[in-house]
Amino acid sequence: MRTATADRSPALDRGTLWMLCVAAWLVPGSAHLWLRRTRAGLVFLVALPLMFAIGLALHGRLFPFEAGEPLALLAACADLGIGLPYFLAWLSGAGAGSVTAASYEYGNSYLIVAGLLNMLVVLDACDIALGRK
Amino acid sequence: MTSHFLYLVIFAALVSAVFAALQRQEPREQVRFGLLLFGAFIASALVLGWLMLPLPIGGR
Repeated sequence: MRTATADRSPALDRGTLWMLCVAAWLVPGSAHLWLRRTRAGLVFLVALPLMFAIGLALHGRLFPFEAGEPLALLAACADLGIGLPYFLAWLSGAGAGSVTAASYEYGNSYLIVAGLLNMLVVLDACDIALGRK
Repeated sequence: MTSHFLYLVIFAALVSAVFAALQRQEPREQVRFGLLLFGAFIASALVLGWLMLPLPIGGR
């Protein structure tokens, strides 16, 4: 069983592994597509940016990196987990958040969970690349 | 229009899809696991909401 799994995963050197992890972080699902896990890659490629976009549409906030507010700092780290969509939203001025909106907390939940899920996806891609899965 | 339940359903569907793709390899297993997670999300939210119904909201 392990041999069959390892056969599906190409042997990667350290540099390629780092590139794979960075790609997995920047574009959700890209590493799974790279590793020929097409179905899972497509699910991540669609679901995670969609969650992030819905979070922005629901007036969620991209939290700032402020050391004085530990919880906001953790939320900011989670937001950053989504990769490229975070920077695109930041550059376009989205994610200011509207505390008075009824959907504000929903938006924050969508944004934070999308980032955290993408971190799990990065770890999963690493495991596949290393032949652990 | 703000539908809190719709936000919950969309959230549950997307998270379930991602977890199913992460945790299961076979398509049939992924669908089963995803539906199970989705149902658990919705059911637990409804049960928790019902349990919290008697609690006072905003000082009322």
